[in-house]
Amino acid sequence: MSIAVQGIKKRFGEFVALDDISLDVATGQLVAILGPSGCGKTTLLRIIAGLETPDTGRVFLQGREATDLPVQKRRVGFVFQNYALFRHMTVFDNIAFGLTVRRRRERPAAAVIRSKVAELLSLVQLEWAAERRPLQLSGGQRQRVALARALALEPQVLLLDEPFGALDTQVRQELRRWLRRLHDALHFTSLFVTHDQQEALEVADAVVVMHRGRIEQRGTPEEIYDRPTSGFVHRFVGSSNELPAERRDGALAIGPLPPTPSPGPDARLAVVVRPQDVAVGRAGPGWPGRIVAVRVVGPLAHVDVALEGGQLDPVVAEFGREQLRRERFAVGDAVFVNLVRFGLYAPNEAA
Amino acid sequence: MSGTTAAAGAGAPQPAAPPRRPVRGAARTLLIAAALLYLFAFLILPLAVVFGQAFAHGLATYWAALVDPMAFAAIRLTLTVALIAVPLNLVFGVAAAWAVAKYEFRGKSALVTLIDLPFAVSPVISGLIYVLLFGAHGWFGPWLAAHDLKVVFAVPGIVLATVFVTFPFVARELIPLMQAQGRDEEETALSLGATGWQTFRRVTLPNIRFGLLYGVLLCNARAMGEFGAVSVVSGHIRGLTNTMPLHIEILYNEYNPTAAFAVASLLALLGLVTLVARSALEMQAPELRRKPLPGPNP
Repeated sequence: MSIAVQGIKKRFGEFVALDDISLDVATGQLVAILGPSGCGKTTLLRIIAGLETPDTGRVFLQGREATDLPVQKRRVGFVFQNYALFRHMTVFDNIAFGLTVRRRRERPAAAVIRSKVAELLSLVQLEWAAERRPLQLSGGQRQRVALARALALEPQVLLLDEPFGALDTQVRQELRRWLRRLHDALHFTSLFVTHDQQEALEVADAVVVMHRGRIEQRGTPEEIYDRPTSGFVHRFVGSSNELPAERRDGALAIGPLPPTPSPGPDARLAVVVRPQDVAVGRAGPGWPGRIVAVRVVGPLAHVDVALEGGQLDPVVAEFGREQLRRERFAVGDAVFVNLVRFGLYAPNEAA
Repeated sequence: MSGTTAAAGAGAPQPAAPPRRPVRGAARTLLIAAALLYLFAFLILPLAVVFGQAFAHGLATYWAALVDPMAFAAIRLTLTVALIAVPLNLVFGVAAAWAVAKYEFRGKSALVTLIDLPFAVSPVISGLIYVLLFGAHGWFGPWLAAHDLKVVFAVPGIVLATVFVTFPFVARELIPLMQAQGRDEEETALSLGATGWQTFRRVTLPNIRFGLLYGVLLCNARAMGEFGAVSVVSGHIRGLTNTMPLHIEILYNEYNPTAAFAVASLLALLGLVTLVARSALEMQAPELRRKPLPGPNP
């Protein structure tokens, strides 16, 4: 089932949560909505689910207008950030809930419900937990129960609000890969909200980056990462360094580096460069600086270089540990920095 | 500390020097003694007096006091009033708590403040309100007289006054409980296709059952024991508009302390039962009392 929203606006008192959002999600896609806290992503998800109503705008599910459809009728599975399992019911009753609240005419027989729940329990690998209470389960287990519960109704759309939010890193990774496999197997349309870019980039077919109630960019994980269209996206996704630059007379000057042609009006600009695109060498040419820190992080090395001239934060460069060993960088070394690739934007307005 | 060697461990500093301990112990004993004394003076002693006086002239006298027609009528009236007031306030309390905890609306804080009003107002005033509204010279007085309806100095008035003074109890228990529990479970139920009523019955009600029972218990205790408001409104018509507390006062004023204490012992018994039930409830569900299910990682 496809999802489409047009012109959605929503405010809470003075606070504008969503400012003219339009979005399309094709059937069968797994799309991530990525953004910092307060950007409106959860509000958007809830509007699609029917748990909130937009001030203006329309919601379409499978091409049919659903803006005024109550949440019960939308046939959309929703998984909350903290799972919201029914604390007084067993795992079995939790999963069966959607089936047992159906009207008598539509309700499956008890035996059918039992087999359906058993099927789901084995899908989420929690057969042993059927008679347990939510309080007796771990975070990851509760998450799987919440998913099974949403899947019991065979929804065509699954909406997840920060589904792996507060789980241990290891559990998180396993679960998100598992979710992806499940999605591929069952072919539902998925929309999930997260502030964890790792998750979004790893799992989703497409990523929608949101900021302050607007969509900044939508694209594949690769596009978002390699070809950000705004300063915010560039800074938010992946790590980045920022350097001041100035364009004057059609040439861009970044510190002492040789100016490059840059058509456009004279302006102060900001250069956003990823640590992997910062080249550090012992020999010039380049921007001279001094190494102030060396960190080994798993298979990678991070080197902080304090650049000469101007009170700038140290620039973080990232490369493989092998290179660190070869070059034998150490704190205090004089080095030269070059930028392999960078994005050019208006100076950061404290986003 | 972890760097100390084994040798240093042998001569490790002893716990607080002995001279300190007796002083700490003395303060503790004193406080416990004070608490026990307070409890004895204001709880145990009065209770003992009530039961002692009630049975002072033997079981037969005690029983006679209770089955006396006037006393019996008073007991029956108290039970009737409670049977009306408590369910009414139960429904109101749940509805108010539901509205406050699950929805956002203007005037919410005003509603919560209003719910607390009966606690801030003297019970006598609470009763007076109804006299002013429904009494012969009140706002609705003429209309009621014209339709031959009696509110004040009749049972309806007593019920109204009792409802007023007891209506915060259930709401006050449920509002913080339901607020702490949040809306997530209810919203989940809705997203799974449940109707509002199904959601309430299968998701909300089980979650609040202990808070609800607790509130009903308190509401009932107050409903049966209310004196001030009911006194103003009832007219003290023996056999008709006397509740137990009012009847106790009459008996006592007629220099019939044994009978007075006999009836009073029933109320005292109610108080004890309420206390015990309260403790039992709190023991039943310590993890449910005012605490939501722990988040993702307990």
